[in-house]
Amino acid sequence: MSHQAAPAEADARMASLSSGKNQRRSRIPQIPLHLMILPGLLLVLIYNYGPMLGLVIAFQKFVPARGIWDSAWVGLENFRYVMALPDTMQILRNTIVIAFMKMIAQLVVPIIVALLLNEVRKQWFKRSMQTMIYLPHFLSWIILGGILVDILSPSEGILNAGLSWLGIEPIYFLGDNHWFRFVLVASDTWKEFGFNTIVYLAALTGINPTLYEAAIVDGAGRWKQTLHVTLPGMASIIILLSVLSLGNVLNAGFDQVFNLYSPQVYETGDIIDTFVYRIGLEDAQYGVATAVGLFKSIVSLTFISVSYYLAYRLANYRIF
Amino acid sequence: MLKPKKNVAAASLLCLSLVVSACSNNGDGNQANPSNDKAANSQTTGDEANTSAGNATSEADPQFGKYEPGIELTTVRVIDELKFASGETIDSNQWTRTLEERLGIKVKNNWVVKKDQGQEKMNVTLASGDLPDIFGVNATQLKQLAEAGEIYDLTELYEKYASPLVKEFAEATTNGLAASTFDGKLMAFPAGNATIDNAPILWIRKDWLTKLSLPEPKTMDDVIRIADAFTNQDPDGNGKKDSYGLALNKTLFWTNGGGSFGILEGFMNGYHAYPQSWIKDPGGNLVYGSIQPEMKTALAKLQEMYKNGLIDKEFGVKDEVKEAELASAGRLGMGYGQMWNTLFPLTDSRKNDPAADWQAYPIVSVDSTSASPQTPASSISNYYVVRKDAEHPEALFKMLNLFGELQFDPKTPKEVWQQHSKVDGIEVWQYFPFAVGRPDKNLTIHHNVVAALENKDASALNPEELDAYNNSLAMQEGTGDATNWSYDKVFGKAGSFSVIDKYVTEKLIKSSEYYAAPTATMTDKNATLLKMELETFTKIIMGASVDEFDKFVSDWKKLGGDQITDEVNSWNATK
Amino acid sequence: MVERLTWSRKAFIAFNYTFLTIVSLMCIIPLVHVLAISFSSSEAAAAGYVKLWPVDWTLSSYEYVAGQAAFLKSMLVTVQRVALGVTINMLITVLIAYPLSKETSVFRPRTFYAWIFVITILFNGGLIPTYMIVKYTGIMDTIWALVLPTAVPVFNVILMLNFFRNLPKELEEAAFIDGAGQWTTLWRVYIPLSMPSLATVTLFAIVGHWNAWFDGLIFMNTPDHYPLQSYLQTIIIRQDFSAMASADLDSLTQISDRTAKAAQIFLGALPILIVYPFLQRFFVSGIVLGSVKE
Repeated sequence: MSHQAAPAEADARMASLSSGKNQRRSRIPQIPLHLMILPGLLLVLIYNYGPMLGLVIAFQKFVPARGIWDSAWVGLENFRYVMALPDTMQILRNTIVIAFMKMIAQLVVPIIVALLLNEVRKQWFKRSMQTMIYLPHFLSWIILGGILVDILSPSEGILNAGLSWLGIEPIYFLGDNHWFRFVLVASDTWKEFGFNTIVYLAALTGINPTLYEAAIVDGAGRWKQTLHVTLPGMASIIILLSVLSLGNVLNAGFDQVFNLYSPQVYETGDIIDTFVYRIGLEDAQYGVATAVGLFKSIVSLTFISVSYYLAYRLANYRIF
Repeated sequence: MLKPKKNVAAASLLCLSLVVSACSNNGDGNQANPSNDKAANSQTTGDEANTSAGNATSEADPQFGKYEPGIELTTVRVIDELKFASGETIDSNQWTRTLEERLGIKVKNNWVVKKDQGQEKMNVTLASGDLPDIFGVNATQLKQLAEAGEIYDLTELYEKYASPLVKEFAEATTNGLAASTFDGKLMAFPAGNATIDNAPILWIRKDWLTKLSLPEPKTMDDVIRIADAFTNQDPDGNGKKDSYGLALNKTLFWTNGGGSFGILEGFMNGYHAYPQSWIKDPGGNLVYGSIQPEMKTALAKLQEMYKNGLIDKEFGVKDEVKEAELASAGRLGMGYGQMWNTLFPLTDSRKNDPAADWQAYPIVSVDSTSASPQTPASSISNYYVVRKDAEHPEALFKMLNLFGELQFDPKTPKEVWQQHSKVDGIEVWQYFPFAVGRPDKNLTIHHNVVAALENKDASALNPEELDAYNNSLAMQEGTGDATNWSYDKVFGKAGSFSVIDKYVTEKLIKSSEYYAAPTATMTDKNATLLKMELETFTKIIMGASVDEFDKFVSDWKKLGGDQITDEVNSWNATK
Repeated sequence: MVERLTWSRKAFIAFNYTFLTIVSLMCIIPLVHVLAISFSSSEAAAAGYVKLWPVDWTLSSYEYVAGQAAFLKSMLVTVQRVALGVTINMLITVLIAYPLSKETSVFRPRTFYAWIFVITILFNGGLIPTYMIVKYTGIMDTIWALVLPTAVPVFNVILMLNFFRNLPKELEEAAFIDGAGQWTTLWRVYIPLSMPSLATVTLFAIVGHWNAWFDGLIFMNTPDHYPLQSYLQTIIIRQDFSAMASADLDSLTQISDRTAKAAQIFLGALPILIVYPFLQRFFVSGIVLGSVKE
């Protein structure tokens, strides 16, 4: 972040939200604060932590007809089973590469679009843009999958028609291992970037207008204002969303991959979730699926904790 | 649990008393006579006075006797998109009324879910432990329930309570009873089809054959020649080379889940290869069809066809629906599939182009040995099971008997049949929770319709057959629309069932031999093995070296395939 | 505000409008395609003729959908669900976000609480245990089964607490000095100052409830109780032919009807198209803080 470059006001804001040692208010009663949290806490304990007891399935040869109490315990067998599959390394690699590329794209694209939208002065234009970019979010991958097969077709697709107009050989986007991951990342970004854009736009509304006025007085142009006022103003939300997205390091997007992949791109496109799904087709294997889920959760938790801790130690900033 | 049996003595006495009609009606134990339905209706008032009788009457006539007083039992329902006449619901309709009137059974649906999520909902229900009294499950769930000891041993009940007609149904399913038997005990009632309905069919646009003066296919070479002509000789006459000779979708095989059109079983069978099927080798051992050398020949042929542009270059990313767009747009002339393909997906081809004349042909062979169409080991849509502590386990058979009688007994009056089958286009029969059927019903429809068309006499047809007859008649008289056409191409004189009929009379069909639930190693390894298989086959078709096949075979064996083969054979030895 | 427009600024504005227009066009293509299919004849749709403009224009799919009792019924369930669910979501979001937005020095256990909530994003017990909890708490097959298990939208809570933290602390201090308690401060100071961010999380809560389908299928015991998206799911998912009973032949003829499905998808997304622009009223930049300053 362009932290040092920020004008004094923005700096002060960052400081005030990162540390509050100078603003003790311990005389304020705390009971109401606990009370406010209580209903949500209870609901979470019942409906989120309650089912977590069921994670014991990960250590069972779980058979639905026997239930959780009577299924056989197998220790770490389910984890061992997954690790011993001949494809595990390939699948893990695909998952991480795809998920990581998606994380980057989902971080960068929405920021750019939000900044560009912020430059738009015509309210009707801005509003309709905002609505339109959010629309793909409402269509399922089953629908979008069918549309993408058409658009990306090497023989008849509009994209390849455009490429051949530029003198480029047609590309078999969905059937070529060199391209498949990019198609996944690009189409995922296309479907979901509107969501994060909205969050950033909301963050932009919170920036104190006096900061801009001050910057203009200092002779800053639009670009400098963006760099020194707008971006620092979004900083805390950007950090938050990036850290939370680390929770998805092993989620490459089941619905999307499932609807777009095919045997010819298993090599680069088969991910943990699609493989677990296919294992389950043979025989609903809840034990294995739960073990995989648990593994993913632990990895995510590790990533998030480490970044939380680092932010706290290095910048004295609590991400959430 | 065995309460009904205690009442046997009392039952025989009571048979003489108030409810004489119900008992005597079913004296022959086979089926009710035509007056039965009316009798049941008029009898209701009498029954109400008789509530103290226990379930004696039900015992007096094990197959059709009514429960007095009535009983209530629970089930769960996995349904299709159902339509209801106004006032009718899944909980109250023609069938629920008939069940109460005839058998004194009130069925309560613990839940109702649409088909796609049925397995999920069933699994959470099984896991949470609140099983209904009687319900339908799939093969895997049946195995789990049987092993967990959660379900009732139906062996004796089946003997005593199932009507001869219903027994006939169960016996006529392919391997149905065997697959329901565990340690010699019958743990479920199998409802489903003979697998002949799933035999591969070769669909070709006859109008294109005629146009290009091509003969009907007799050998695989003919098939390839036709595919070539459909691709290169502009069968649609638009001056563009935009048509394909052979349909293919990315799942490759029907057994692989999903596609019913543009699949390869029939093609492979032409080379005496049986993908994903367990077949007997000359030594009598069971072997996996996908790894036999004949597969390699067939794959090499497909590769050649793909290279020559006879197959859609992009088949690898298209599912059935997407591939069928080509057919609907008049750009595809041939494909292997299932007997119902004119109903789906080819009906749209006809709607777009009334000249499109998809015709079913028998699959053909590469040499002088006739091709054997492969079918799955069994085709059971539902295994009906009873919870082990259900109060009235025998009620399952009474309900099955009733359905069998009202829907399949020739003595059932037509209006009663109709009332319980299809009214104003609404499929009333689907309301019944435990449907059974004559496993070769569709073939019978074909036979009867053809006979009626020849004799110009439809009087012997049941209403369902009459529907099929009218569709074919409309086509004969030249007034048929696309819908009439699509049914005629299934049940009519030259319909897909004439092909299946040929398969059956010439005894060509080759069922997969393994019908039990997945073995332990299948559960563990099949996902990996299937992935390898699909990946290899797809790549070979698209141009990879055919010798990849040999590597696939040795990998398949190494990565668990040999173990699976052992398990399948030891199962075969003990079954 | 009058800006002096340099040449490069003009070029940027031109580029910006063009670029955003292209981006947004790319985003509406799929929905336009769905819309075009819904107005086309089913055989044209099945042949893949329909791209972005209807072929063989017809309203029949909308007539069909209007005649489907199930569609309207499930729409009603969804409206109930969204009304109840979003109300609960928002109450809980605000109530949790406020205490958690305090600094650790002010509210010591905040970090502990925050982690309790965050962990629920990362870990979940899976289908079967969740089903059993829903069953044990006696809300199976009621609207509560769709609302209570998702009552705490943790992502929104965290978003909201970050927005709250960005509010100037002086306002809060002023409120305390005036003798306001925590409840009053939240209600009188935080909420009015947070309209844009509240609008954002409200939108997410609406969309979350609107789009959720799986819980409906699993927790409801009859299709009559399905919310809209669960119902749509049952008609859009491909038919599984592996378990085809021959008796189902008639239902085959209905599968290929993509136009009715398209109409239902479009109608399903329509309410959001209406609600979103309405929520955008609250997105006016800087207005709140500016007015407070005076």
